[in-house]
Amino acid sequence: MAQTQTIEQKPEAKAGEELLRIEELHATVEGREILKGISLVIKRGETHAVMGPNGSGKSTLAYILTGRPGYEITKGRILYKGEDIAGTTPDARARSGMFLAFQYPQEIPGVSVVNFLRTARNAVSDTEMSALEFHRFLKQKMALLDMPEELVKRYVNAGFSGGEKKRNEILQMAVLEPDLAVLDETDSGLDIDALRAVAEGVKVVAAGNEVGVLLITHYQRILNYITPDVVHVLVNGKIVKSGGPELAAELEKTGYDAFREEAPAGDKGPLP
Amino acid sequence: MMRFDDAAVRALARAEPGWFLDDRLAAFARFTALEWPDPSSEEWRYTDLKGFDLNNFAPPTEPLPLADNLDGVPEHVLAAMGDVWERDGLAIQIDGTVVHRRLADPLANKGVIFCDLATAAREHEDLLKDVIGTVGVPASEEKFATLASAFAAGGTFVYVPRGVDVTLPLHAFRWLETPGVLAAARTIIVAEESSSVTYIDHYASPDATTAISIGLVEIHARQAANISYLSVQDHGPDMYHFNIQRGEVRRDATLRSLAATLGGKVSRSVVESMLVEQGASAEMLGVYFADGDQHFDHRSLQEHSAPNTTSELLYKGALKGESRAVYSGLIHIAKDAQKADAVQTNRNLILSDHAKADSIPYLEIEANDVRCAHGASVGPVDDNQLFYLQSRGLDADEAEDLIVRGYFQEILDRVRVPEVRAALERAVEAELKA
Ligand SMILES: Nc1ncnc2c1ncn2[C@@H]1O[C@H](COP(=O)(O)OP(=O)(O)O)[C@@H](O)[C@H]1O
Ligand SMILES: [Mg+2]
Repeated sequence: MAQTQTIEQKPEAKAGEELLRIEELHATVEGREILKGISLVIKRGETHAVMGPNGSGKSTLAYILTGRPGYEITKGRILYKGEDIAGTTPDARARSGMFLAFQYPQEIPGVSVVNFLRTARNAVSDTEMSALEFHRFLKQKMALLDMPEELVKRYVNAGFSGGEKKRNEILQMAVLEPDLAVLDETDSGLDIDALRAVAEGVKVVAAGNEVGVLLITHYQRILNYITPDVVHVLVNGKIVKSGGPELAAELEKTGYDAFREEAPAGDKGPLP
Repeated sequence: MMRFDDAAVRALARAEPGWFLDDRLAAFARFTALEWPDPSSEEWRYTDLKGFDLNNFAPPTEPLPLADNLDGVPEHVLAAMGDVWERDGLAIQIDGTVVHRRLADPLANKGVIFCDLATAAREHEDLLKDVIGTVGVPASEEKFATLASAFAAGGTFVYVPRGVDVTLPLHAFRWLETPGVLAAARTIIVAEESSSVTYIDHYASPDATTAISIGLVEIHARQAANISYLSVQDHGPDMYHFNIQRGEVRRDATLRSLAATLGGKVSRSVVESMLVEQGASAEMLGVYFADGDQHFDHRSLQEHSAPNTTSELLYKGALKGESRAVYSGLIHIAKDAQKADAVQTNRNLILSDHAKADSIPYLEIEANDVRCAHGASVGPVDDNQLFYLQSRGLDADEAEDLIVRGYFQEILDRVRVPEVRAALERAVEAELKA
């Protein structure tokens, strides 16, 4: 594994500096309120885990952060690098260093991974890389993540296994070198080897550049590989508890039901 | 101006044997008897030729001289033809007359024929007589087919003897430049048993020319023969183009065809694959990209009349501006065609609010043990794909362009002639920028 090369420290990247601030965020999807008051602060270099049962609003939070059409902030605000991002486009957010690893990555038939990665890299970066420069750069990233060469020649996610799709998301993260990475259930559906590979990948990529990570997960097991600084428990659109890594272990024992009780009465989470 | 009448037919046929002239005159008589295509008929439901007046056009008159080499071909024509890679044969026609023709010597020595129809009628009379009109869309059924039969000019006759492989493509570049001309190219391809050939009909014209271009294509794939027929229509925006193509595929033979439609004001293409013997198979690809007020009408027929026959059709198009496209295709599986396998897929990407596409599949299945699948879609670029790419930093336009490129790349991957693939990739790029 090569590590010396890749990630140059961007001048503004300082550990401990505030990166993301979410204040009392309420959000709707197609008119229905899904997020019901979320607050959290992520500093550079920190990893925050957001844990919650299915339907609790985890993906909604990820999409609200990255500006997906149809997802609307109705109350509260999101400050990213000190700026309110309401109304900015998804691509503007990406260019200012936000990255989302999708829970369900899209297939883009006919577009090779390598072509896609270069187009995306050139879109977010101030300096255009030549094809040759990019090729070298990509090779380093692939070595870092132990990715098979053959994968980047294929069309984006077309016919990929679940594990390949998730690894491809992390490869994109490595290539785009974000400041804030939102990982939406990147661990779901992976067997133990794939999980380890993906988790190690996230760790190396994140460590190099003081990346703030919002690690969204349903299960505790990825936290065996990536130790979060803070764990938030999201139930029914609200953070019902925040704490240190030990909170994840507690969750593992008690399950989400114990926390549901802390949610407002009559609210048993969404239907299956 | 020359009119469409018997005298014009005779003038065009003056260097041809009498039977060929008789054929033309008979076709012209049928043409005169046929009604003008009317949108009330099923065939022309989607293409209204109101406002199109044949009297504004004329058949070609004086044939141009034949050039022995490319130096004798006008430079602007060579420029329009673009890069032609290695070829076993090349023919260049201007306004329906052949100005240059070349066939690799070793193939000529093996008995391969590659010439225009008038030459074939003189020098290969028996061969031509045997096949001409035998698989064509019956001229009596089709107004433009009869017109093309009567006024065929230039055209191509390809004959590949038994067991001979023509490894590099034969390429016909058909350039139309005289305003008001009608150039009807009749193409007849015969591949005898266990032979193979790839043939390209490449149509083009300058931006300012309004003229009529007709391709009447008859393909014979004999037992275990392998034919690829690629038609690339890259006319100027004011052209009328009508393509009528029918291929007959015999036992264990394969016919691959591509209909690429890029230019023209009105462009109509009919592609029919007749799988007449056991084990015959056809691949039918279609690619189109319309903009402005272009009108594209694609029709297809997958005719399974024998058992164990296979056909796979995939047409993909995109539309910008106020363009309009219609695809309608029929799969017909006859009673005896057990174990037939037919697939028909048509996809349309709508890239503007004012473009419109229709996709109409027809199935007619008389056998009971067959596999038959069809799918059609008309719609804009997928929102989920767009958001995925935007979340990677591409703005909305870049994201859409990349998706459209990929959409076409998937079908272009199946075009086996690399230079045609490359030309179509360039055409897609140009359309995206337009
Ligand atoms: N596009 C949508 N339209 C309507 N409801 C949605 C949409 N997306 C998500 N939801 C609803 O929002 C709630 C939260 O969904 P989601 O954020 O995907 O949860 P999680 O990621 O935690 O499983 C669920 O009840 C879900 O049904
Ligand atoms: Mg989710």
